[in-house]
Amino acid sequence: MPAMAIEPKLSHTAAMILQAIHAGQVYGFSVMEMTGLPSGTVYPAMRRLERDGMIVSKWEQQSIADAEQRPLRKYYRVTRTGQSALEAIHKRYPLLEKLIPSPEVKRV
Amino acid sequence: MSVRELIHSLAISRMILRMAAPLVPRRERAEWLAEWNGELWHVWHSCNSGTQGSNLTAFCLGAFQDAYWLRRNNPNSSLRRLFRSGSPVKCGLSLLVFALASMWVCFLVPGSRSVMLPSPYRDPGDLVMISHGGHSSEHLPTVRLEDYESWETSTGHLFTQIAFYQPARKRVRVAPHRTTELSVARATDNLFEILNVPFRAAVPDQPLHASSASLILTQSAWRRYFHSDPNLEGNTIEIGGLQARVVGIISDNSWQLPGNIDAWILEDAKHLDEMPSSSRGFVLARVKPSGFPVGSSVRRSMTVPREKGDVDRYDCVSLAQRAHEPFALFLFTLLLACLALPATTPLPLGEYPLRPDRLPSAIRFRRWFFIVIKIALILPLVFFSSLDLAYAGLPLDSPAAQYIQMIASFLGFLFALRWALQDQRRRCPVCLRLLTNPARVGQASRNFLAWNGTELMCSSGHGLLHIPEIPTSWFSTQRWLYLDSSWSSLFSDSYLAPAGFS
Repeated sequence: MPAMAIEPKLSHTAAMILQAIHAGQVYGFSVMEMTGLPSGTVYPAMRRLERDGMIVSKWEQQSIADAEQRPLRKYYRVTRTGQSALEAIHKRYPLLEKLIPSPEVKRV
Repeated sequence: MSVRELIHSLAISRMILRMAAPLVPRRERAEWLAEWNGELWHVWHSCNSGTQGSNLTAFCLGAFQDAYWLRRNNPNSSLRRLFRSGSPVKCGLSLLVFALASMWVCFLVPGSRSVMLPSPYRDPGDLVMISHGGHSSEHLPTVRLEDYESWETSTGHLFTQIAFYQPARKRVRVAPHRTTELSVARATDNLFEILNVPFRAAVPDQPLHASSASLILTQSAWRRYFHSDPNLEGNTIEIGGLQARVVGIISDNSWQLPGNIDAWILEDAKHLDEMPSSSRGFVLARVKPSGFPVGSSVRRSMTVPREKGDVDRYDCVSLAQRAHEPFALFLFTLLLACLALPATTPLPLGEYPLRPDRLPSAIRFRRWFFIVIKIALILPLVFFSSLDLAYAGLPLDSPAAQYIQMIASFLGFLFALRWALQDQRRRCPVCLRLLTNPARVGQASRNFLAWNGTELMCSSGHGLLHIPEIPTSWFSTQRWLYLDSSWSSLFSDSYLAPAGFS
């Protein structure tokens, strides 16, 4: 018996942010630039996505920040749960992928 | 550096982030601040390159929302525990906030503020308003000028001073080519002397008893109609064809007598004689200490003989008594609400079996302390709210304001006390949290054969509450059933959280 997929209930804003991270905008500020959403919306939404296991955060290597003489940045990437959630989201919001193209789509 | 540049500087932005940081739970704070500082560096560079304009401050202000989200969603937050659903602390704090807010509004509204503040007059217990119909007509002018003039000489044994005033709408020349209608009172020149109200005398060399009439304005009329003209005092103004010299301005709070008055024309007896002797006005007097029998400070009255053996009775209502009226109404409506309460909800709080062996006395005492605190907070909340409603747009002496206060206060008390009892009955006697998960038990058709009603449970596992659908001789009121410790594992937080209980 195939496992029944549970469709995550994400708002359009959260879906946009998840799609932006999936599209390669791995920092909070770059997600803001891509989506046009304010910081007060983007960061709490990313916390919620991280809490629900759809994205994970990681600090970049110290040597990279030292080489560029700037503070360390935290980056985010989409998990396997987030990936499957995105597939369901694309069915729910078909225009989302056109708005923020996925890396595969970009290459085409 | 301009102010704009200063606001959008990196130092100010870092300061905003540090201000938001205390909202973040302590364990996550350092990492949170490092992430925001790391991003800020990039936003700042982006702003300097001209692509983002002045979004640096907007970016940092978003940190407050992020920090608040982390605070609100922290499972270990004491604030979260405090404000979780049905918490007695939340209930008490909400009542306290509402009571403080209604008191604050009370002090903001000029009408209710004057009720709250002490009387601006010296010895208000000795100052009386004389009226023909007692309390019911003290806001109406009921004393004829000829009566006042006769009392001036004949009531020396009762009053040390006596004054007359008559409010009327008059056209006042507020500018060379502009007139407006104001409420102006023609008054005897000793009116403010009796009240002992200080006002700025602009022309000290000009006594009040000079040949032209003296005019005193309220501060609000001076601001509104004369645009706070500092040179107004000493000038002569035409009021309804009469020339009057402005001699002073008094604060709005200084006048708490009947009549919503913008200005007073103070005249001597000779000028007042020009008014028709039958015209009616208000009479204020200062009582002689030996004028009335001892102990008659609550109800003072005097009789005036008329022609053909008739007698007119005049009530002397002290200003102190008038000032206590809102509080007397509050006590009266509280009594009425207490009497009407049993008609709206049962008074018993239910049957709670005694368990002196298990429940510490502090827990039992806390239940009663909670309902006392609720009622203690309801009293000021209803009192201040009723004053806010009554005096927001009506003057102090308005009978409509008193009716509004009475109705608002009575209904407020009735429903607030009803809520306090109902809320108490729906709480666990141990943890005082609201009971949850109502379940229908039994069948209505079998009411006389078996128990039928609603069952609620304490989400911490302290017990179950059974409320009968129809009170019967064997089950008349709600009953509490304590659960022993063997049930505790079912109700622990670790089991409740995944199940969705808060």
